[in-house]
Amino acid sequence: MIGHMYFPLLLQPTKSFPSALLSLLLVMAVHSSRTVSLSRSQNCGIPLQQSLKLTRLILKESVELIRTYASQGAMSELFCKSSSSEVPQPKISGLEPSERLLSVSSILQSFLPHLQRVLEQQTDLQSPSSRLLTELSNVRNRSTSLASVISCLYQNLFPNLPAPEPAGGPTQMPPPQNIFQQKVYGCVVLRRFKDFLLNVARELRTLKSRVCRMPPANTLF
Amino acid sequence: MSLFIQNGTWKNQGGPQERSSGRPCSNYQARSLLDMAMVLLIGLLHRLLLACLVSSSLAFSAEYTFDVNILPHSPVVEIGKNFTATCSLANTSEATADDLIWYYTSKIIPREHYNKINTSAVNVTITITSETPSRLFCRVNKSKDTKDTYGIELHKGYPPERPENLSCVALQVDKRISNNVTCSWDTRKRATLIETKTSLFFSSGDEEKEKEIKDADKHRGTVSLSIFPHHMNAKVWVVSENKLGKVKSDVLETEADRFAKTNPPFNVVAISEKQFPESLLINWSQPIEKVYVKLIYQIRYCKHGSQTWSEIPLEDTAREIQSFRLQYLRPYTLYITQVRCKMYREGFGYWSDWSRNATKMTPEDKPKSKPDLWRTINNTEGRNRKTMHILCKDPELSNGRIRIFKVKMQSLPWKEVVVNRTGSEDLAVDLGQIQDPRGIIFVEVIACNSVGQSPKASLKIPRNQHQFPPVNKLVWKSDKGQLLIEWQTPNVSAGGSPPKHNLTEYVVQWVSGKDGKMDWQRENRSTLKTFIRGDLENFIYYNISVYPIYSDWIGQPVTIPAYLEQGAPSHPPSIKLEYLGSNNAKLVWTDIPQEKQTGFIVNYTLYYFTLNESDVQVITLPANTYSYHLKTLSSNTKYLTKVKSSTIKGSATSPEHMFITAKYAPGEVKGIVVGACLGFLFLLLGITILCFYKWQSIESKWWPTIPNPENSRIGTWTPDFHLKNDPPKESTLVDVSVVEVDTLDGKSVFEEDKAGLPLKKDKYLSEEHSSGIGDSSCMSSPRQSVSDSSHSSDEGGDLGETAAGAVQYSSVVASQGYKGQNPNAAAAAHGQPPQQQQQQTTPSFSRSESTQPLLECEDGGGDTPGSSGQSRLLSPGSGYRSKALDHGSARCAEGGPPGPGEQGSAVLLRFWPGDQACQQSGAQDAAESPEFLEAMPASHCMTKLVGYRPQ
Repeated sequence: MIGHMYFPLLLQPTKSFPSALLSLLLVMAVHSSRTVSLSRSQNCGIPLQQSLKLTRLILKESVELIRTYASQGAMSELFCKSSSSEVPQPKISGLEPSERLLSVSSILQSFLPHLQRVLEQQTDLQSPSSRLLTELSNVRNRSTSLASVISCLYQNLFPNLPAPEPAGGPTQMPPPQNIFQQKVYGCVVLRRFKDFLLNVARELRTLKSRVCRMPPANTLF
Repeated sequence: MSLFIQNGTWKNQGGPQERSSGRPCSNYQARSLLDMAMVLLIGLLHRLLLACLVSSSLAFSAEYTFDVNILPHSPVVEIGKNFTATCSLANTSEATADDLIWYYTSKIIPREHYNKINTSAVNVTITITSETPSRLFCRVNKSKDTKDTYGIELHKGYPPERPENLSCVALQVDKRISNNVTCSWDTRKRATLIETKTSLFFSSGDEEKEKEIKDADKHRGTVSLSIFPHHMNAKVWVVSENKLGKVKSDVLETEADRFAKTNPPFNVVAISEKQFPESLLINWSQPIEKVYVKLIYQIRYCKHGSQTWSEIPLEDTAREIQSFRLQYLRPYTLYITQVRCKMYREGFGYWSDWSRNATKMTPEDKPKSKPDLWRTINNTEGRNRKTMHILCKDPELSNGRIRIFKVKMQSLPWKEVVVNRTGSEDLAVDLGQIQDPRGIIFVEVIACNSVGQSPKASLKIPRNQHQFPPVNKLVWKSDKGQLLIEWQTPNVSAGGSPPKHNLTEYVVQWVSGKDGKMDWQRENRSTLKTFIRGDLENFIYYNISVYPIYSDWIGQPVTIPAYLEQGAPSHPPSIKLEYLGSNNAKLVWTDIPQEKQTGFIVNYTLYYFTLNESDVQVITLPANTYSYHLKTLSSNTKYLTKVKSSTIKGSATSPEHMFITAKYAPGEVKGIVVGACLGFLFLLLGITILCFYKWQSIESKWWPTIPNPENSRIGTWTPDFHLKNDPPKESTLVDVSVVEVDTLDGKSVFEEDKAGLPLKKDKYLSEEHSSGIGDSSCMSSPRQSVSDSSHSSDEGGDLGETAAGAVQYSSVVASQGYKGQNPNAAAAAHGQPPQQQQQQTTPSFSRSESTQPLLECEDGGGDTPGSSGQSRLLSPGSGYRSKALDHGSARCAEGGPPGPGEQGSAVLLRFWPGDQACQQSGAQDAAESPEFLEAMPASHCMTKLVGYRPQ
């Protein structure tokens, strides 16, 4: 209301409509840039760092998990490298940070049912006190947490963009498998998930360098 | 009536017998009618009928049951708040709301608390306090029974308090942070008094856990999560609720890693490097991988045996490091190092416990400071010589084990003293001694270890310490288990000229009174108070000395005694009696030597009392008093005494010492004895002097010169009595004279004579003074003399002496008679008239110049054996009793008629030879009489009169 009261006053001294309009646009631009930079500077740090730390933690645990999985199942690395169309690919797509972060979120959401499936399969195969089950459960739980953290980060970094949604349609799950197939499937899931986490960690570091270190546009002001 | 409870309310039901209250009246009426019929009292009958009507109406109202109800049922009420309950009546018109009353178990609630809602309901509002009874009742006032009472139970309590200061912690288990998160919070510690539910909520990501805390007063709960949410945000809060309210704590929203408390770092080791003698390298391992918790570290270290830790500044170690180099350490020193860690973010997380000790000694280095050089002087026992010992301690910065001390005394060359320590010996090393030190003494010392040698230390002992003034006002006090010494700087102008050397430091020396052990410490010149750093013992006496050091010159010391901690005297003083008098006594006591005391004696308290006295005399004496003179004691009294020595921490009392005061003072007895002796001596001396000067008279009195009767002669006696012409014949009794004296009338005889002649009177007086003839003693106490004579009568010698004592020494010569013994008395006695007697008795007395006694009769008597025997009998025993004398005289009077004056008269003096037969007969009678001895005084007197012949 005060702006409305002063707006005519601004026009009166100039008595020039183009100049007044230019001034108005400048003021709006300054105000807008200030708001964006402030938002970024406040919100990018902690969620991004948390996401990165959590990704590293899951990555470390997934490496240990694969090691444990291999030791428990006497599974050869060759089987783990076999192709499986049902298991998500670890590659992150997109060009813009928002697109890539959205891809991270989407792929992570896709991995969660597979991790749950592997946990279920291994629960049938392993004793309840098996270390593999514990580690597998931990990775699954932390991945769930990472998904929520990534989603939160995305909303913080790109508040004007629509929130990431689960992939369209249900995730494709493998058909019933025998034990060997379950072991191969589990190994493939874990290995791809580990590779995915490597990519996520790399992507988050890149994002951290891009977003959090971006100088404010209105520093001159 | 019975009281039942249902859903926290009570309802009273009256028994059937209580409802039929009209029947007793009917019975009473029947009895009354029967009685009234008997007495026909119609008026009384009417009165009874009226009473029955009234009681019947009352029975109707009591029989009715009211339906009373209270709302709310079993309420939970908050203490301190008002509570309102409603009591209502249902289905009745017999009572209204005005008939309802509220009451507690034993107290009716006043009506001002009531609020009538309608005709059948009334509210009551009460303020609930902790003292408010827990049961509230309502009933109809009309009903005298309690069957219509309705009650409720009040559940008093408080609403829950809001939890505050919520905090959580998750400990590390194995290599992970545990998924059990324990949270705690505070309240104001007020119990709710009613059932309260408390729940702990933990939310992280998609997981939310709730933990119900059953014990509401525990203020602590643990939530078990599926996995600890590293790098995730978490929310924690506590909800507490009961029927009075529900409260929720502030939500603790933070990164979950904040709750992590890891194990301390492990594998902590310290590494020494020879080329860095002042450094130690510390290595350790992180307790948890950094992907879980990123840690920072903190390091602390201390010397072995020290209680003070030194911490490395946090900015130097608050990093992800696993090693650190400690610098600026002392060489050759054992250090203990510890490390701990926490989450890296400042203000977040918990510090872990300190790690295990990593102990390592720094490498050796050459000494960096001078050795501590000092001296002590001892007196050689048995000799008057002093010995100075040169003592030395390792340099403060020895930086290694001192192996050799190089010493130079006076002008002697350097010598080496090898140090062989095993670790338990004294730090001070005796480098040598100087016998009988005189003059100025210089000592120089260098300490050497395996790496190098120290700077040179020197000590200069002046010839006269007075030129280096001492410190002032040295005091001590015990402070927190340490002995604090304070002093003031030396007054350099006190000694006149200022010292040539500047004050550089002080040496504080202490010597134990227990074993004489000496130690010292050095303080710099700016220090004016310090704690004794030696291992002082409690209750031990120490001599503390402060020496000012003037450029290595030892100044004049000041010494004071001190105790680290004083205690009560360990031994009581011993008391004894030094002097004892009749009313005073001197007590002395000795205390234990000061070096054995446990504290300074502040005073002595002397107690003394008698066994009978209940009050004890108390005398407080200064500490330097070791004797006391009691001056107000009672003589010959038993006293108990004891003495108490006191320190500021207690006292010790000696055993009771008993003494009895003397009856007489020693001087008093001596005085009495000496006085008595002196008096006796003076008396003896006086007597001696008296005897010396009065010897003649005493000799004449006690040892009279007995004249030889042979030399006796009478020059002139009477004109008509010529003795010389008629010398006595031997063997005759002519000269024996017998004096018959009536002892009863002896006096009258003399008085008669006294009245006769003034000469006689004088004569008698002179006799009373023992200067006349005869013994006055016989006159004054004749019986005594008789007794004496009777005793002496057995002894012939005494008899003679008595007779000799009665010898008359008077040389009076009467011309006309003696003592009234008028020669004419015989004539008068033969009947001549007095005038003729007076005319005839004009004898002429001539004074004889002879000193011989007038014992003519004795002279004569002694010559005849027969007369001699009679004379001895008669002379001393011439006291015939008057009866015997009368009898004798009566027989003798046969020779001639007695005169009228002789009858009854005691005096009858007859001297004539013709009376011999008469005398003998009388004497024999008298001698035969058993009362003869009793008449001895008279005879004694008469003996003195013997010798005077009748004139």
